[in-house]
Amino acid sequence: MPNATKRPRWPDKLLSRLVAPHLREEVLGDIHERYLLRVQRLGERKARATYWREVLAYVRPGFMKRQPVNYPNPTNMDMLRNHFKIAFRTLSRNKLYTGLNVAGLTFGVTCFLLIGLYLFDELTFDQQHSKTSRIYRAVQHRKTPNDDLTIAASSYKVAEESKKRIGEIENSARINRVGRANLSNPDNKNTFQETIAFGSSGLLEVFDFEAIDGDSKSGLNEPNSIIIVEELAQRLFNTTQVVGKTVIVEFMPDKPLKITAVLKNHPRNSSFTFNSMISEATIANSDDFAEWITNWDDQNFLTFFLLKQQANPEVAANKINNLLNINLKREAGHSVRYSLQPLADMHLHSENIEDGARNGNVEAMSQGVLLYIKIFAVVALFVLLIACINYMNLATARASNRSKEIGVRKASGAFQSHLIHQFLTESLVVTAISFLLAVVLVNLLLPAFNEFTHKELSLGFYSDYRIWIYTFVALVITGLLSGSYPAFLLSRFSPLLLLKNLKLQNKGDLSLRKGLVVFQFTISVVMMIATIVLFQQVRFANNKNLGFNKDLLLVIDINSGKVRSSAETIKTEFSRIPTVKNVSATSRVPGEWKTISTVKIRPEGNTDEHKIAYLIGADENFAKTFEVQLLNGRNFGGMSDSTSVILNETAAKLLGIREASAQQVEIPTRAMGGSYSPLNEANQPFNARVVGIVKDFHFQSLREKIAPLVLAYQNNPVYPIDYYTARIEGKDIPATLAKMNDVLTSIDPTHQLEYHFLDDQLARFYVEDQRRETLLIWVALATIFIACLGLFGLATYAAEQRIKEIGVRKVLGASILNLTALLSKDFLRLVLIANGIAFPLAWWATHQWLQEFAYHIDVEWWVFAVAGLSAIAIALLTVSYQAIKAALVNPVKSLRSE
Amino acid sequence: MRRSDLGEFEEVVLLAVAVLSPKAYSVVIAEELERETGQTVSTGAVHAALQRLEQKGYLRSELGEATPERGGRRKRLFTVTALGGRVLNDVRSVRNRLWERIVPQTILKWS
Repeated sequence: MPNATKRPRWPDKLLSRLVAPHLREEVLGDIHERYLLRVQRLGERKARATYWREVLAYVRPGFMKRQPVNYPNPTNMDMLRNHFKIAFRTLSRNKLYTGLNVAGLTFGVTCFLLIGLYLFDELTFDQQHSKTSRIYRAVQHRKTPNDDLTIAASSYKVAEESKKRIGEIENSARINRVGRANLSNPDNKNTFQETIAFGSSGLLEVFDFEAIDGDSKSGLNEPNSIIIVEELAQRLFNTTQVVGKTVIVEFMPDKPLKITAVLKNHPRNSSFTFNSMISEATIANSDDFAEWITNWDDQNFLTFFLLKQQANPEVAANKINNLLNINLKREAGHSVRYSLQPLADMHLHSENIEDGARNGNVEAMSQGVLLYIKIFAVVALFVLLIACINYMNLATARASNRSKEIGVRKASGAFQSHLIHQFLTESLVVTAISFLLAVVLVNLLLPAFNEFTHKELSLGFYSDYRIWIYTFVALVITGLLSGSYPAFLLSRFSPLLLLKNLKLQNKGDLSLRKGLVVFQFTISVVMMIATIVLFQQVRFANNKNLGFNKDLLLVIDINSGKVRSSAETIKTEFSRIPTVKNVSATSRVPGEWKTISTVKIRPEGNTDEHKIAYLIGADENFAKTFEVQLLNGRNFGGMSDSTSVILNETAAKLLGIREASAQQVEIPTRAMGGSYSPLNEANQPFNARVVGIVKDFHFQSLREKIAPLVLAYQNNPVYPIDYYTARIEGKDIPATLAKMNDVLTSIDPTHQLEYHFLDDQLARFYVEDQRRETLLIWVALATIFIACLGLFGLATYAAEQRIKEIGVRKVLGASILNLTALLSKDFLRLVLIANGIAFPLAWWATHQWLQEFAYHIDVEWWVFAVAGLSAIAIALLTVSYQAIKAALVNPVKSLRSE
Repeated sequence: MRRSDLGEFEEVVLLAVAVLSPKAYSVVIAEELERETGQTVSTGAVHAALQRLEQKGYLRSELGEATPERGGRRKRLFTVTALGGRVLNDVRSVRNRLWERIVPQTILKWS
């Protein structure tokens, strides 16, 4: 026989794979025999050369088709169908447990989805523009020997020259928010006080603002053009089809502005909130602008750069700095540097960045707080985790009821993997049902949730596809997580033991279950404590004695020059209204929502560095109206006091003044949130004398320590008056308001009444805390509820398991109280342990949080007591229901059959 | 009986089985056909034809003995069934009748 090893091997391998098993023997035999024959006849080389054709002749369906078998191997699909069938049967047989599981998971998932939607919205801020990833905001870092400033602003030169000279930069956009002014429709005299901003033509090229009328890309190219959003269009014109019409801005009455585009209202997750934007070209001829465009150093523009594809922002920032260094010489110790902040970071990562390029009366862009985003994310995950734990606990607790099933399955040949798959399918079915219910529930709750979070969240067919992907991923993970532990545990037992004892006695499993219960309650207690502390702090902040009386103070904005200059007349007119007790004119008010100016100040003749203090312009009625206490010295006397100032205690201490006795101070520079600049062209400092000292009062939020404050007279050179504040009587406020408005319109018919109640305004400092508090309360309730569902299930199960023991004890004379105590004791101990872990944790967390407030409550022991006791009470209530029920069962019933 | 039931190659294979009976299996049939036609015939093609013929009931098969050149594997031996025989006869008589009706002077010649 010729050497058989020389035969190529690949045909055998190929054919034994392809050819159906029942044909393999003859086919392989045939090709081997034929090969040998060929070798004999033609020689080995030729035989080999024709071999492959021989082999390939077998590659045809006739040989590959497998024979049907009588006992088929079930496919994955078959097994899956079976798993689903069993899952539905098991679930519908144990309605109570299924109910508890589904309810727990549904609540958990609902909380998770709501918080998730909120977080998704916060995290996708400003990402609706197609070039988001390439847009950067210019941030200026300015250092002088005694102060640092980080401000989101740049000079005109930096914005413009960078675009021209730096290869990385494709385009730039500038905004300058010059202040608030009346915007009116000349046809119907509809007039509204709006923030007036000028934008470069690049603004519309860099960003994608959707237009509903007009062209959204070229709207700012021409001078005297304005783009407005539909909401403002509706207010001004009662329609949104207004392209081509004109509006008038108060301070440019001779320049009617043509509307070139109407934009869609800004989505809620956009940092931009402007209602209108005037083309920069409109003011290109003004004197201010002529000065701006030559300047490298100032901070007049909020600037965005669009980088080229794949350009490195750091390289671009370096090039900007190089450009700046070439063109700008600075004194020693002073430095200016730029960095580029990604647009997507603007909402959450701007904590120490001042929002620049705006007048002091323009509110800053709203920001999110990253810390709370993190806290909420953790809370959402915890709630979901607690719901998963419920499922694990109930599933493992009931394992012994299913021991027969598992034993039989194993005995008839199921592998561990089969059982794992089965249990995982079951948990996935439960999770899927819960998710469906949760989606429905979320949609029911969303209107209320949106109102409360001030967002426009939705979960439906039109939601962002990413939301659905995340939801689906969460579903699968939840299902696998809650199913994994029971699946691996239950599938591990030996079938012999299972069928012999029909009981599972697994110590490790029990202690893990206990651990999970402890974990659930720890989180619940921590949340309860956190909620109480948050609640107390918010109440504390709202009720704290602020050093002035904030009740019934009506603040009226000065929105026109005439109303400002006629201060004395207006004050007199106001005080003639019977329901008005006192009136004061000020530049800013305590609890101010706009920027308060700061000044540099030092006693005259002193050569130390200047100190920094806030400055508010006020009149002689200030102390009386706000009920601020004068400690020593005197109040302003009248017009002759234009160079007098009054200090608060902190400022007095800072300047080393004990008693006010006309000490001279000099105020050379001021700032409105940005950098310090001289008071006037001549660089003449404001020299004033200190005539009085007032007791400290909280003129800012309680998060801030009371800062040094200078009260200057109303006609001071630093900042003019901006508000009239009236202390009014609580009855018939609308009538009082109407009368005050009459006074104002008699002075200036175009004046727009804008008013605030100071206590409402102060409460707004803490409105976010209030929101968080409410959210936390609900989440804490949900957590406790879910944990109790789990506890209820466990208690039911424990009572069921010990039914015989209870029967025997009862026969031997145990009282109902005894038995209840016996059954509740175990669970109570777990809750106590949970309390023990939760207290230090909660103390630490709340303590950390309270440090954020300069003035805060102390966490008191009773908070812990209340939280701990209520956790115990709730747990006891849950458990004792089952315990008492079990204890009341007639022993005859439980002992009759064995 | 439909004539389309039997392809040309199948007919040849069926004939070869009859010729080589009772020791007809794919290798010897392929060898035989190669020798007779002078063209390469693969066992795969023969085997496939045999399978089809068996399915149609013209052949029946059984496993034969194993031989060393087959690596100890058994071969499948085919024999013609009665139906197979009848089909062969039918085909043959059709052909014969047609041949007989050809006038001698029109005998086709290779030229």
